[in-house]
Amino acid sequence: MARTATAPGAPTSRLGKAAFEIDDRLIVAGPLRRTLNKVFPDHWSFLLGEIALYSFVVLLLSGTYLTFFFDASMKEVVYDGSYAPLRGVEMSAAYDSALQMSFDVRGGLFLRQVHHWAALLFVASIVVHLLRIFFTGAFRRPRETNWLIGVVMLVLSLLMGVTGYSLPDDLLSGTGLRIISAILLSIPVVGTWVHFAVFNGDYVGENIIGRFYIAHVLLFPAILLGLIAVHLLILVKQKHTQFAGPGRTEHNVVGNRLFPTFAAKATGLFFVVFGLIALLGGLVQINPIWLWGPYNPSQVSAASQPDWYIMFLDGSTRLFPAWDINLPGSYTIPALFWPTVVIAGAMFTLLALYPMIERKLTRDTASHHLLQRPRDVPVRTSLGVMGLTFYVWLMMSGGNDVIADKFQISLNAMTWIGRIGVIILPPIAYAITYRICLGLQMHDRQVLEHGIETGVIRRLPNGEFIEVHQPLGPVDAHGHGALAYGGAPVPKKMNQIGGARRAIRGFFSPIEPPARVELEQRAEGRGLSPQESDRELTTSGRPTEGGRPSEGGRPSEGGRPQEPRD
Amino acid sequence: MTAREDRPGSAGGHDIPGPHHGGPDDDYTPEQLAAMSREDLDRLGASYDGVEVLHVDPGPEPGSRLEKRAIRQVGFTFALAGLAAFVFVVIYVGSGWFLPDWHWTITEQGWSAFFTPLLGLLMGLSLALVGIGLVLYTKKLLPHETAVQDKHDGSHFDRVTTGATLVGGLHNSGLARRKLITRSLAFMGGGLGLMLLMPLGGLIKNPNKGNPLGTTNWAKGVRLVRNDGSPIRPGDQEPGSLETVFPAVPGGNIQADAATMLIRLRPEQVEEAQPRIGQADFGYGEYVAYSKICTHAGCPVSLYEQETSRILCPCHQSQFDVTQGAKPVFGPATRSLPQLPITVDDEGYFVARRDYIEAVGPTYWNRERI
Amino acid sequence: MSIPNTQSDAPLDEAESASGNPVRRARARRRSKQRRRMANVAGLLLALVLTGATYSVFAPAQAAEDDNESAAEAAGRQLYEHSCITCHGSNLQGVEGRGPSLIGVGEAAVYFQVHTGRMPLTRQSSQGLDKPAVFSDEEIDQLMAYVQANGGGPTLPSGDLRDGDLAAGGELFRLNCASCHNFVGEGGALSSGKWAPSLRDANDRTIYAAMLSGPENMPVFGDNQLTPEQKRSIINYVQTVAEQADPGGAGVGRIGPVAEGLVIWVVGISALMFGIFWMGSKA
Repeated sequence: MARTATAPGAPTSRLGKAAFEIDDRLIVAGPLRRTLNKVFPDHWSFLLGEIALYSFVVLLLSGTYLTFFFDASMKEVVYDGSYAPLRGVEMSAAYDSALQMSFDVRGGLFLRQVHHWAALLFVASIVVHLLRIFFTGAFRRPRETNWLIGVVMLVLSLLMGVTGYSLPDDLLSGTGLRIISAILLSIPVVGTWVHFAVFNGDYVGENIIGRFYIAHVLLFPAILLGLIAVHLLILVKQKHTQFAGPGRTEHNVVGNRLFPTFAAKATGLFFVVFGLIALLGGLVQINPIWLWGPYNPSQVSAASQPDWYIMFLDGSTRLFPAWDINLPGSYTIPALFWPTVVIAGAMFTLLALYPMIERKLTRDTASHHLLQRPRDVPVRTSLGVMGLTFYVWLMMSGGNDVIADKFQISLNAMTWIGRIGVIILPPIAYAITYRICLGLQMHDRQVLEHGIETGVIRRLPNGEFIEVHQPLGPVDAHGHGALAYGGAPVPKKMNQIGGARRAIRGFFSPIEPPARVELEQRAEGRGLSPQESDRELTTSGRPTEGGRPSEGGRPSEGGRPQEPRD
Repeated sequence: MTAREDRPGSAGGHDIPGPHHGGPDDDYTPEQLAAMSREDLDRLGASYDGVEVLHVDPGPEPGSRLEKRAIRQVGFTFALAGLAAFVFVVIYVGSGWFLPDWHWTITEQGWSAFFTPLLGLLMGLSLALVGIGLVLYTKKLLPHETAVQDKHDGSHFDRVTTGATLVGGLHNSGLARRKLITRSLAFMGGGLGLMLLMPLGGLIKNPNKGNPLGTTNWAKGVRLVRNDGSPIRPGDQEPGSLETVFPAVPGGNIQADAATMLIRLRPEQVEEAQPRIGQADFGYGEYVAYSKICTHAGCPVSLYEQETSRILCPCHQSQFDVTQGAKPVFGPATRSLPQLPITVDDEGYFVARRDYIEAVGPTYWNRERI
Repeated sequence: MSIPNTQSDAPLDEAESASGNPVRRARARRRSKQRRRMANVAGLLLALVLTGATYSVFAPAQAAEDDNESAAEAAGRQLYEHSCITCHGSNLQGVEGRGPSLIGVGEAAVYFQVHTGRMPLTRQSSQGLDKPAVFSDEEIDQLMAYVQANGGGPTLPSGDLRDGDLAAGGELFRLNCASCHNFVGEGGALSSGKWAPSLRDANDRTIYAAMLSGPENMPVFGDNQLTPEQKRSIINYVQTVAEQADPGGAGVGRIGPVAEGLVIWVVGISALMFGIFWMGSKA
């Protein structure tokens, strides 16, 4: 670039001058450069948390829009909007305004549906994100704080969901509200006091929608926003974890710099998430409140369910036996208390404390920045699958009447299947997962020792048939590989180490026409291409001679020699 | 540092600017920086942030077929996104103007029923295509670099010096020695904290005052009326039927705990009926009246199976047997549905003989047992 | 004969105002009162017409019961003796352990059971299955005539069965029917393998007949409990809602959170996983 200005290095372009002017005042160049240079590891599973973040942004945007039209009041009004089957029916102002925004606001129904879908996606992506963190051990020191914040955010998002679900005051949400009331009442000793504090009296009163509303639009989102900020700050401060691989250590991060690659991908993901929510919001009808009708405490519908993220509590409530505990003096601990308050409380407490529990049990107090493959930690993985089985089983039991109806199974049988399953399935899941983990571990070691199965069968002079194995590295006198397992994926197919060039593919279609591939193969002979043949194909965590850090693609692809880009 | 020490502490002296940022600004003069290429500057800055760019896969060759194809793809994606966005605007604005009205009525199967799906399709398509375009751009056209950034543990130097500053400040405050201040601070803190929490006391209401949980609007002589307010006579229901009834008081039909099921049993059911102890006379002839509010979680029960005499709650599948005093026979409910004592008044309409003798709805801590 | 009972609605109006509950929602109350008054008048007229009509059908039939029944009844008797007699007995009295008595069930029950294909039963089970009707409409009419003539019971009205107030029908539906048949008539599970069927394919007469006769586990909604006009309102609501479009996109069965949860996991999360997978993969 030609430099004609008087001061050396002074900007010549208008934009450059403006940038200098800004930095004169704010002194941001240094921090900005540090931010732009920040390296983020590139792995698909690290984007799950981002999906949650972007759903939250969509929730804030669409939710703000909805507040322009929603009236959080339980005043009785008579509907006279454009939905004929409810015209003349008495209902609360909240339900009335929800109907008005659905049918008498241009695009209102669309944004209501966008908001609801975004909420479902928000919680779902949090759960998937949490599973990734759990199974890869990303919660270990020094990230316990962020794990804890994450669990608190999950609970808050459930509360957001519950309060939001209750707002339209339709027959479905009212039924949910009734159960919330019963759950509050079931708390021993203070239950009735808590209920009267929350509802301002006996069920249903006239305040609950207004109170839920302010909690839903102000209290919980504010706390959630603050926690998201802290969550991200800690993430940036501690730097992202990464999977083990060539050149990756506990003391570095290998990946893309924030600008431009990571920023572009993240922005792209935001638009994809927003787009998907918009597609769902328009194309799939969600919570058609006009079909549910206004809430009335004496009315109910078959198949009344909460949204999916609360369904596990509904399930546990359905399965729990009728065990009231009658204490002397006419005091009772209602059966409802256990499957709701206690189970939810225990599940989230256990989840929150899991990093501490694991630290205690394994006595592993070191800092970890490299992630573990789930198979390498069979106990944690099995515990996780066990918990997941328990959760999913409860969730399915939350819809057991729909399952019974659609698949023509007896409802009572479904309850019993649920009761038995919730006790015996988690241990079975534990045992199976443990075996699978061990099997996968063993296979990794086998490949490292004997090499990859080539599928080539040879007959030895003595008549014995053997399969030819391709060693992954140098071998000793017995032909056994000298590579040790380093916590990274081990290639298990010949085309993962370049054995079959046909594997060069785009995402949807081959990038290279097969003819060229064939030519190359003939030119190179079988196996590795010349410029790659000197590379050691280890995938151990230590940076090895001649190897260079590769970015993780899919785990199954890791350790694959870098294909020439085209 | 030396420049700073020379400086007079306050106004009046000559003010010499300090070094720009220390560190790098001392290492590299503007002239040196001006002589470097942009790429070198980028690498230099990165190295100061502990980042090393190991390897760059350049994007496709400029002018190559591959590049042209990628550009076409990305450009086409963005253009399509823009197109979808504009069509969205046209449909949103034009509906009811030059396009059919968007107001949906129940008989409408056409345009207005597709208005929301169209909006969603177009907005979703547009946004998703923007995202896809960006990712395509990154994947196919940007150079693909692999960078390594060092990760540092906490600095021992920082810990020790920060600790010294903190402890020094605390020491200088003399709080450790000045016990009176520490104690008064603790006292003040406690009081202030409590004081600020106190207004929350406004939320608290005594649930035991007047027994609102244990009573309903039913009382002696209150008529059983339908949702529309009409009273009921014994001849009105067929055997094997159920009617939801409310107390004939203002707003009785929207009260949370008053809804009651008036059931006329079939003769076979009457024969095998085993009412709860002491409640044999609560019914009237073939009629029995049970609370509609589930004793488990408060949902309205009333999925009445007249052949099996069962009442099912749709929320958690508790099942009650009306011939056994609405005793729970399956599911999580523990208590029978309370029975309302009924009779017929002088004009031949059903009335309650008194309120429920126990609390209706979900069980709570100090609910009286009967 | 249940028909004269229809008129017992009339004095209710005075009784209701006599009970004198001051209701704050006066406007709606007044409207519903007017509606009821009109309903009573309509009901009275209808009852008169029906009584006359039924009488004209009945009188000769009863007079000639022993020797010569009407042609329809005779045909019905033949059908009955061919297909129903095994379980319901030769005189509609029922057979212990096989089938209930049909005395007093009326033509409504016959129409419901035979038209929806529940009868004749293919096998004894907890609940008759909804399947294509075995008999033609004409045969069903003959069976109805035979059972009505020999057993008596509630009769089915003719004419437009959707002639009722839509919103009032909705309220009644949610109060009386939704608990088993779901908000939108999708049906639902009952205890121990029984279920409340979906109303999607039910025609107006079937719904009317079901309310009137209370088939199997369904409670009976006699004409004094739900007036014919109220029944028509309910039918109007059920059929209107079933026929109306879903303005918010695909209805996913209109069953609410279970289907929605399935969609967010199967469609939403899967699509995004696919997306981030694609982002992470190298070109």
